[in-house]
Amino acid sequence: MALDVETRRAENGVTVVAPTGRLDVAGAPALKDAINEVVKNSPPKIVIDMVGVSFVDSTGLGSVISALKQIRGSEGGELRLAAPNQQVRVVLELTTLDRVFPYYATVEEALTGL
Amino acid sequence: MGSNHQTFEFNAEFTELGEGLDILHRSIQLLREATGRAQDDRALILFETALGEIGGNVLTHGRPPGIERPVEYTLRLDGHTLVASLSDSGLPVHEHLSREMPAHDNEAGRGLAMARSLLDELGYERDGDLNRWRLVKRL
Repeated sequence: MALDVETRRAENGVTVVAPTGRLDVAGAPALKDAINEVVKNSPPKIVIDMVGVSFVDSTGLGSVISALKQIRGSEGGELRLAAPNQQVRVVLELTTLDRVFPYYATVEEALTGL
Repeated sequence: MGSNHQTFEFNAEFTELGEGLDILHRSIQLLREATGRAQDDRALILFETALGEIGGNVLTHGRPPGIERPVEYTLRLDGHTLVASLSDSGLPVHEHLSREMPAHDNEAGRGLAMARSLLDELGYERDGDLNRWRLVKRL
C-alpha cells in the first residue's frame, strides 16, 4: 500500500500535509518529498494531518523527525501533528517522542494559534 | 485445555518490500478477524508494530543483490501465545541487537529497540547463511 500525500493551505496560511496509508519504510520517502516541497515554497508552518495514517514504523517516524529539524531550522518554523491514531500514539510514547512533538486531537485544534 | 483455546496459522513467502509489508499487516488483520479481537486491541497493536519493524528490516537488509531466496514468514497463535517467525538471507545482524533507543533528534536506529520493548521475547539466530527471527507476545 503506497502512501499518498495531499497538501492544502488552511485559511490562516498554515500548510496542512495529509498522508494516507502506512507511514513506514516503504511510505516514508513520499512524506519527505512532500515536506521538502512545502518548505521550499511556503512559510514553514506545517500541520501533518495523521487521520489517514493507519500505521507508523521507526522509518516513518524518522521522516517526521527530519521534517521537524528542517522546519525548526527556519525562522518562525513550526510543526504539529494532528489526529494520530492509537498505534501512532503508542509509538510516539514508546520512543518518548511525544515530548518533542506536540500532537492535537484534530487539525482544527492544531491550527489554532499557529 | 479450555474451550476458548484459540489457534491460528498463516504462512507466506515474499520478495518485494511493498508486497511483504502488505502481507505482514494482512496476516494480523486476518488473525484479528479470526479471533474476534477489536481493531484497537492493544496487545495486537504492539505486536503488529514490532512485526512491522522486524519485517521492514528483513525486507530492506535481508535480500542482498543476487540473492533470489524469498523471505519466509509464519504467524501462529496457540492459546494466548502469538509467535511470528521470519527468515532472510542478509548479513548477520548480531551487532545491532543490543542497540538502545537513540536520542530524540536521531532519524534512524529505533527499530530493534522498539521491537524489543514491545514483545515478550525477540529471538535471533544465525543459521548457516540465514537470519532467523522469532517474535513472541502473550496476548
